[in-house]
Amino acid sequence: MLEPAKQAASRLLASSWLRPLNDLDALDDLLAPWHPTAALGRIKARVVEIRQETPDVRSFHLSPNWRWPGFAAGQHMSVALESRGVRHHRTFSLSSAPCDRWLRLTVKRRPGGRVSNAMHDRLGVGDVLELSAPSGRFVLPEALPEKLLMLSAGSGITPLMSMLRDVRRRDPGRDVVFVHVCRTLRDAVFATELEGLAACMRALRLVTHVSAERGRLDADGIAARVPDHAERTTWLCGPPAFMEAVHARWQAEGLAERLACEHFGDLVPNRRAAGAPLEVRATRSQRCFTTTGERPLLVEAERAGLTPRYGCRMGICHTCRCRMTSGSVEDLRTGERCSEPGQWIQLCVSRARSDLELEL
Amino acid sequence: MKTSLSPAQLDALEAELDAIRAEITADLGERDAAYIRRIVRVARWNAIAGRGLLMFGFTPISWLAGTSALALAKILENMEIGHNVLHGQYDWMNDPSLDSQTYEWDNVCDSGDWRHSHNVLHHTHTNILGKDRDVGYGVMRVSDAQGWSPAHLFQPISNVALSLLFQWGVGLHDLDVPRNLATPEGRREMRARSGPFLRKAARQLFKDYVFFPAIALGNAPRVLLGNLSANLTRNVWTNVIIFCGHFPDGARFYTEEETANETRGEWYIRQIEGSANIEGRRWFHILSGHLSHQIEHHLFPDLPAHRYPEIAPRVRAVCEKYGLRYNTGSFWRQYGSVLTGLVRRSLPTSKRPQPVAA
Repeated sequence: MLEPAKQAASRLLASSWLRPLNDLDALDDLLAPWHPTAALGRIKARVVEIRQETPDVRSFHLSPNWRWPGFAAGQHMSVALESRGVRHHRTFSLSSAPCDRWLRLTVKRRPGGRVSNAMHDRLGVGDVLELSAPSGRFVLPEALPEKLLMLSAGSGITPLMSMLRDVRRRDPGRDVVFVHVCRTLRDAVFATELEGLAACMRALRLVTHVSAERGRLDADGIAARVPDHAERTTWLCGPPAFMEAVHARWQAEGLAERLACEHFGDLVPNRRAAGAPLEVRATRSQRCFTTTGERPLLVEAERAGLTPRYGCRMGICHTCRCRMTSGSVEDLRTGERCSEPGQWIQLCVSRARSDLELEL
Repeated sequence: MKTSLSPAQLDALEAELDAIRAEITADLGERDAAYIRRIVRVARWNAIAGRGLLMFGFTPISWLAGTSALALAKILENMEIGHNVLHGQYDWMNDPSLDSQTYEWDNVCDSGDWRHSHNVLHHTHTNILGKDRDVGYGVMRVSDAQGWSPAHLFQPISNVALSLLFQWGVGLHDLDVPRNLATPEGRREMRARSGPFLRKAARQLFKDYVFFPAIALGNAPRVLLGNLSANLTRNVWTNVIIFCGHFPDGARFYTEEETANETRGEWYIRQIEGSANIEGRRWFHILSGHLSHQIEHHLFPDLPAHRYPEIAPRVRAVCEKYGLRYNTGSFWRQYGSVLTGLVRRSLPTSKRPQPVAA
């Protein structure tokens, strides 16, 4: 009885007939000068504290507004940040637990990374970020398993840190092995924090592997250092090569069902030799086609049997505009390269310069 | 296309204009984002102030102030924000509230219809008789090359009517009413495609003439009259500015044959010679949505419009270098020339148009 009424009410409130009174974007803009995180629709969060974790990793503690719906340990969300007038979106896993006072974003500075560098260089206490609602199924189950194994490498530690903090709150006596691989000791994020957790979680065993000293930790190495890994439910997050190795080993041992994975990081676009066919994935139409990168993408898509909307075919009307989720294209008029994930491109004046993924 | 330029000169012209475009594109950034957001804020506060004064005021002065503020808000929103956002001028910002494909503006024209009739048809086929429906909008005779019919006798009067009802002309433009009404198939197609326009028009009428008057309770007539006046003011202003874009004396029109197999350089020339600028102060350019820089707008329709004044001297220099006419003049000169042209062409052309002296 109540639910349909609620739905009808929210439909009515969002109705285009009530414009402009229910234009939440406009109302949020009008509220912004009054209070930086005041908003009716958007999730905004104020930076309340910044901590330098390692020379190139910083944690930003955020206080979100009332629109933040809460999250489960291990989930990620998208952060919008403006740089040179362009709004960029990046996905980060939270490294705080749901019970913590603030949200914590832990960000590694990547060479050439527009957003990570902007966050390190320009984001200060008091600044406001816009967030998406959290999502992701890389979470702890309702009922914690008897024994847990958390495997992370590099920045992959963030969702696992969130989970470990959550485990401490839910059951400090739970048997957890926490393996973290880092390049050097200086790169060990959360080292002090982990020791602190170990002090109050008696069944927590910390394994830190410094690869610069002891070489890469492969799947055999993990198995050797966690002999009872087959009895544990495992959560895994790290760079692709690390994850693939662990995944293959777990699969070989028939443990794939007890392994949860979270991928992260940019998939580096494949740059191939000139003239080699490039692969374009059209995600909306679920089609794939190849191009040599000579002709505009619009022509190539049409040759592959797709029917993108188009108008002028010369780059002025923006009808064929399409979002590029990954890859690199060149503007046929200016020769300008664009490799920004999530950027709009015009199919009629763009040609592929790498494998692409388009929202087409 | 008939041009006195050699192919090498055409290529050089193309390269020079492309270079201006590339330079501005590379320079886009915070300044442009801040500019458009400021205009959005000014338009919103004017709308709030205007509607507030109409709703809660009770003197004629507050009515006039409210109506003016609302008219100003609508003009800014339609011209400097709506028209330019719908061109994709701010798509690079990746801001969903300034996105060309989802933005909906405050007039009876559906944004999707507009992107087709304006961005695609008008901006691709600018001033090509038979292809660009903006040449006289299917009702006016603005070029001697257009055939005369007795209906054109009334165009000095119908121009006044069109300017008062301009948003309706714009709203119906994509349905190509004058042509489609003539045949049964045309009428069928028009019906099939009229949905977006009808829905948008209904919403606009509801907003300005039902919803806002209704919530003003006792002040309903005052609000209704204010909204009507603001809409009319915006209509006349946009009509006047838009007519100055391509219809003053000296703007060239083209035939389909002339423009077949056009190069990009020739397309640039058509945009230059088919358009006309209006000189004025900064506020005037902003209120015209920078359509007062029609030449620059037609060369680079998807560059943020507030950049046009900045590139205008360079475009003008390119025109001088290649002997192209850069048609510009004061508002009264350009609009005067539009009006005298409309009156002159209401009569059948008795003699061939005189070639313009070089």
